[in-house]
Amino acid sequence: MEHIELFFKSIFIDNMVFAVFLGMCSYLAVSKKVATAVGLGAAVIFVLAVTVPLNWLLDKYLLQDGALVWLGEEYADYNLGFLSFILFIATIATMVQLVEIVVEKFSPSLYNSLGIFLPLIAVNCAILGGSLFMQAREIETLGLALNYGVSSGIGWFLAILAIAAIREKIRYSNVPAPLRGLGITFIITGLMGIGFQSFGGMLTGGDEAPAEVEDTTVQTIEEEKKEDLKEIDGKEVSYNDAINK
Amino acid sequence: MHDLKMKYKGKKMAPAINAFHTFLYTPDETTHSGSHVRGADDLKRTMNTVIMALVPVLLFSVFNAGYQHYSAINGFPENFSLLEHFITWDNAWIGIIKILPLLAVSYGVGLLVEFIFAVIKGHEVEEGYLVTGILVPLIVPIDTPLWMLAVAVVFGVVIGKEVFGGTGMNILNPALTIRAFLFFAYPTWMSGDKVWVHEARERSEAILAGASNIDAISGETVLGYLAQNNGAAMEAKYSVMDMFYGFIPGSVGETPTLLILLGGLFLIFSKIASWRIMLSAVLGSLVMGLIFNGVVDQGWITETSKFHGLMSFEYWQHLIVGGLAFGIVYMATDPVTGAQTNRGKWIYGFFIGFLSVMIRVFNPAYPEGVFLAILLMNVFAPTIDHYVIRGNVKRRMKRLQNAVIHPKDSDGKAAELQAETV
Repeated sequence: MEHIELFFKSIFIDNMVFAVFLGMCSYLAVSKKVATAVGLGAAVIFVLAVTVPLNWLLDKYLLQDGALVWLGEEYADYNLGFLSFILFIATIATMVQLVEIVVEKFSPSLYNSLGIFLPLIAVNCAILGGSLFMQAREIETLGLALNYGVSSGIGWFLAILAIAAIREKIRYSNVPAPLRGLGITFIITGLMGIGFQSFGGMLTGGDEAPAEVEDTTVQTIEEEKKEDLKEIDGKEVSYNDAINK
Repeated sequence: MHDLKMKYKGKKMAPAINAFHTFLYTPDETTHSGSHVRGADDLKRTMNTVIMALVPVLLFSVFNAGYQHYSAINGFPENFSLLEHFITWDNAWIGIIKILPLLAVSYGVGLLVEFIFAVIKGHEVEEGYLVTGILVPLIVPIDTPLWMLAVAVVFGVVIGKEVFGGTGMNILNPALTIRAFLFFAYPTWMSGDKVWVHEARERSEAILAGASNIDAISGETVLGYLAQNNGAAMEAKYSVMDMFYGFIPGSVGETPTLLILLGGLFLIFSKIASWRIMLSAVLGSLVMGLIFNGVVDQGWITETSKFHGLMSFEYWQHLIVGGLAFGIVYMATDPVTGAQTNRGKWIYGFFIGFLSVMIRVFNPAYPEGVFLAILLMNVFAPTIDHYVIRGNVKRRMKRLQNAVIHPKDSDGKAAELQAETV
């Protein structure tokens, strides 16, 4: 049950693109054709599926407060948490290199069409984000970490698949000149975000007593507002990131 | 009018003048050269057919607005008779003063935006807003302030449609975009138990402010009761036939399932809307309803669970409450934003029904998930189409590979190209 819940939650509710606006750079850049988008999406699923469990192991046995206790009692006080960024990104970079080599070997056409964006997966915010969320949400077991990696990868995959199909569809639309290209893509992303809102608030809240329903409607509304604000913040941050990169 | 049109020919305002002209008179221009395909079902005819299918719903909603208002104050009449309690001047008056302004604002603002864009871009005004303009007042709560509606309409038409290049290019249904904008921007006006009946909100605010000479009225929707695990109170108040005929509170025009059904049949008969989408959406919602009923029957969900009320709701009754029927008939079948391929339509419709009921049951924040389910499937419709087309291409390639060309037989006739259907 825990697994199923986490699976659907990370695909639809905490979708990497529409809920936290991560991984926007390659999402916007490689979504012109469905075939390429599928390739990149599959690569992201694979990288997330490998790096999240690996980073979970690192976190559990190296980085957490007191994680080094398996070395001996005298190491119990160590907290290497400040190293997590470096270690996580190192794992990710290694794995991306691996994926790159494999893709180049087995599918040169995909390798060519992905171009620079394949090595750039290493700095794809969704990948590092996956590992950091895994750490922040204190996912408990290795199995759940693997599940989290795969399912948030699938969420990202669905997002890029849908937008690639939409962009193929609107290729011949008479979009106003200033909006062509990235402008309209941002608007589409926002509209898709509205569609994905249908899952927002699902599976959350737990087992509140039904008597409190009167209050919860107001609460959920307020929470929604907060979420909206957060989303706006998140969007700005990731947008800035994209610019910086 | 014709003089005006000639005067403005080639000028910047020409599209606006032309639009008025074709609205009021039949254009007398004909083309003279080349061969033409003549079709009776141009865009205007299509739009008008949908509007015709919506008129009964609109008329019903005018009376229902008043009926719900007075019933909430005085209690539902004991021996209901259609002429005595429903089709009365009092009811119609409430409907007219509440719904006509919504309709006017929706059309006025929306068409204004369309005209402005047509003038700026220099193309003819498109008929696309005609249907959206009548759908919008039918899917909002009755007391929606007019300025909110105006803001939402501007958002929906500009961001939802015009930035993509106008009618026929949009990816999300504009009416639903408007509804979603209202829902997320002004949630207190769009959900809860105080918005569905005229004056319910004003009264509760007045009572909070200390007024004691008026009674509170509340118009909880059927789904609202169920979401609160209060199915018994709901059943005491509304019978199944009430739900079917539409004598229940809800968004302005979503309640009369019977009239929606007739409208849907009319649309199928006139080949405007796709019967595949409607049928598969109905199937999808029935399947999801059956699954939930099954879960309750197995005893996996206890009485205390907050999902119990909606899960144990008879599966087929999901179709006659809330906006499901309205959404399936008038929104999901939008030819622009829905799936275009036949097999895609089956998949698309099925998921609309399936997700609508699922969001209804599982999402405590939105007891009404139909519009979000349709928006979500709008997002995925191009993906579905893409893969259906890929599948067709692949199948035909295979068929071509397996095709056998027979040599000429003794009569010298070449046998037909025989293709194995794979």
